[in-house]
Amino acid sequence: MRYGGDNRSRLVVIILIVSALLFITLDLRGIAVIGGIRHGAQSVTSSFQRAGSFVITPFKNFFTDITHLGRTRNQLEQLRFENSTLRNRLINRKSADSQLAQLKSILNLAGTAGYKIISAKVISQGSSQSFSQTITIDVGSNSGIKRNQTVISDAGIAGVVKEVYSDSALVLLASDPAFRIGVRIAGSQQIGILSGQGNRRAILQLLDNQTDVAIGDVLLARGSAANRPFVPGVPVGLVTSVDNSPGAIAQSAGVTFYANFSALSVVAVVVGAPVTDPRDSLVPQKPQPTPIPTVTIYLTPTPTPTK
Amino acid sequence: MLTRQVSLSALIFIFFYLIQESVVTQFHLPAGGFSIFLIFTLVWAVLSTPEIGALSGFAAGFLMDLSQSSSGPFGQWTLIMVLVCYAISLLNYGNEKLRGNFIEIVFFIVVGVLATELCFLITGALLGVATGSIDQIILTLIGISIWTLVITPLSMSIFARLHGFVFNTRMHI
Repeated sequence: MRYGGDNRSRLVVIILIVSALLFITLDLRGIAVIGGIRHGAQSVTSSFQRAGSFVITPFKNFFTDITHLGRTRNQLEQLRFENSTLRNRLINRKSADSQLAQLKSILNLAGTAGYKIISAKVISQGSSQSFSQTITIDVGSNSGIKRNQTVISDAGIAGVVKEVYSDSALVLLASDPAFRIGVRIAGSQQIGILSGQGNRRAILQLLDNQTDVAIGDVLLARGSAANRPFVPGVPVGLVTSVDNSPGAIAQSAGVTFYANFSALSVVAVVVGAPVTDPRDSLVPQKPQPTPIPTVTIYLTPTPTPTK
Repeated sequence: MLTRQVSLSALIFIFFYLIQESVVTQFHLPAGGFSIFLIFTLVWAVLSTPEIGALSGFAAGFLMDLSQSSSGPFGQWTLIMVLVCYAISLLNYGNEKLRGNFIEIVFFIVVGVLATELCFLITGALLGVATGSIDQIILTLIGISIWTLVITPLSMSIFARLHGFVFNTRMHI
């Protein structure tokens, strides 16, 4: 027999819906209580995330390692004891090497521009069930992190600090659909606005209809007033397609971010901007093409045809 | 009895919420991954009365709103989860034929997850939440549905046992 519902359950549902609508209204009106609840919950959750990151990382690395081993079961059985120690070392080393390489690149980037940075480890990646792109880092207000500070990765811009907690911070990734950044094209200095699209691609909208953008143009952050949320000069991405629709008010282009958002393990928060604008000093070097040897074969026809 | 049920349910919900926030989010799963907490809540709602389903949806939505990765205003998930959980438990309540049918329940959960995400997109659009390009949304919806289809059969018996333990009922799944 199907449940037809009774007055009490209907009343309960109505009360719950009204409560939810009340939450939405309070939040949209900026009532501090709601923000306080979220803030408190995140402070509690971040310690679990930190523990989770600590426990899960070796397993993640282990499974990654296993998929690359490609060895037979018998060989693994023979070498299990010997390999277990070495594998553990290798896993730890791999993880550390990868983080070290990212950190080195970040320090190079920050050093060239003169940014004062605080490096941070990514302890959690936001669930995509909300169609948002966020990460949580292991530094917060205790380390001097504030809202609206630029976050850079080894390749360029990673995002912006959205919320700060005592020992962690939430970073809105540049790939988030709500992310907007003012950029300029290296060289021509033309300006535009870049919008995230939920993945590594972004859309650039130029502000001046007289300007031109070309495939391969490098985009750098234009910087904000008082260097927040964006410090100037950070590499953002590379123009990969240009939309030349004849009726468009201004030219738009497809851009690929330099940062690989799915592989972020170490990032840095820019806490101090350089005195002078680094201009185009951070434009990444173009990869040098490897010369391909050309083999030329000369064929000389024989005087008499072969049978 | 009621105190026992409420306190145990609260503990279980918080446990799965923490699993989602601190373990599942560590893995960079392709195509959006899955939400074990959402799957758990929907299974819980399927096995409950509409009244309990709505209350479970409220509690789950409240926790999901507390999540740092929630992009909408506080209360958006609460509203959606109350509606979806009430609807899903109302459709199933008293339908003994469905309760014993493993495949139908899995189908219900997948549809429930998809409906939840679609509700989030629609209410998000009304509330001004940016959700990205259409192709990315479609990819995420397909990805979440496939992941749910994989994860639900693996985890459903655990969720059903927990439900049975809390409410002293016996489910044949």
